[in-house]
Amino acid sequence: MSPDLTEPEILRVRQDIKEKYDRVAAAGSGGCFQYPTGPEGMQLQGYPPEVLRDFPPEVLAAFCGVGNPFSLGSLAPGEAVLDIGCGAGVDSLVAGYLVGPGGRVAGLDVTPAMIERARAYQARLGVGHITFQVGEAEALPFPDKDFDAVISNGVFNLALNKEKALQEAHRVLKPGGRLMLADMVLVAALPPDLGDKVENWFQ
Amino acid sequence: MLKVGFHRVSLLRYTGFKSSLYTEGALFYGEKPVDGQARETIVFQAEPSAEPLQEPACKPGGT
Repeated sequence: MSPDLTEPEILRVRQDIKEKYDRVAAAGSGGCFQYPTGPEGMQLQGYPPEVLRDFPPEVLAAFCGVGNPFSLGSLAPGEAVLDIGCGAGVDSLVAGYLVGPGGRVAGLDVTPAMIERARAYQARLGVGHITFQVGEAEALPFPDKDFDAVISNGVFNLALNKEKALQEAHRVLKPGGRLMLADMVLVAALPPDLGDKVENWFQ
Repeated sequence: MLKVGFHRVSLLRYTGFKSSLYTEGALFYGEKPVDGQARETIVFQAEPSAEPLQEPACKPGGT
C-alpha cells in the first residue's frame, strides 16, 4: 500500500490517526494542534467574514485546518462539493453556505466520532443540503464525475497511499472540476535521527 | 497531481501554519481537463519562506 511502510507500520499509523482524532473529537474544540485553530485560525487564513459572523461559536471553535481551500477559487451557487477528511465538518458547512440550498455537499471522514460532531453542527445550523459519512480518501464511496469541486484541509498528508487518494479525487470530479487543497508539506528535510517512520507520519 | 491527470496545477502559496520544525501548510489547486482539452501542466509553484527553523508554540491542550 505505502511503499515505505511495512504492514504492521501501516496498521500503527491507522490506529494513531484514529486515536488522535478521537481525542480531537472528545476535546470539543480544535485545541490539539500547534498552530492557531478555531475562529482565530479561520480569520488568519481569510475565511469569509460573513461565516465568522454568522456561524455559532462552537462550530467555529472546531476548525483545525492548515489553510483556507476556499481562497483557491470560488464555489458557485448550486454546485456539488466533496470535502475529503471533513473532520468536524467546518469546511463542509462553509461550502454549504457558499453553494446555497440549491447545491450539495458531502463530507467524508475516517473517524466516526468526528462525523457525529459534524452532524451535530449541521443540525445546529439547520441546513439540509449537506451529508456526512464515514469513509477513506483512497476509496471514495461516490460515482465517477459526481462533483464540481473537491476540497480538503490537512488530510492528504496523513493518507497512506497519496497517489490513490489523488486518483480517487480525480475520478469523482466532473470534467472541468477543481481540486482545492490545503495541506501540510515538508519544507525542510527530516533529520535521520528524529525517530521512527510512524512517529514522523505526524511531523 | 499531474501524474493522476490533473492540469493547471499550482502550489499557490504557503499558509504560515506550521505543525513542526519541518512542515508548513500549503495551498494546491488543480483541474480535471474537459474531454479533448489540451493539458496544461504546472502554472505556478511558490517557494517556502526562508525563515530559520523555529519550533511552533503548542496551543493549549496540544499534543
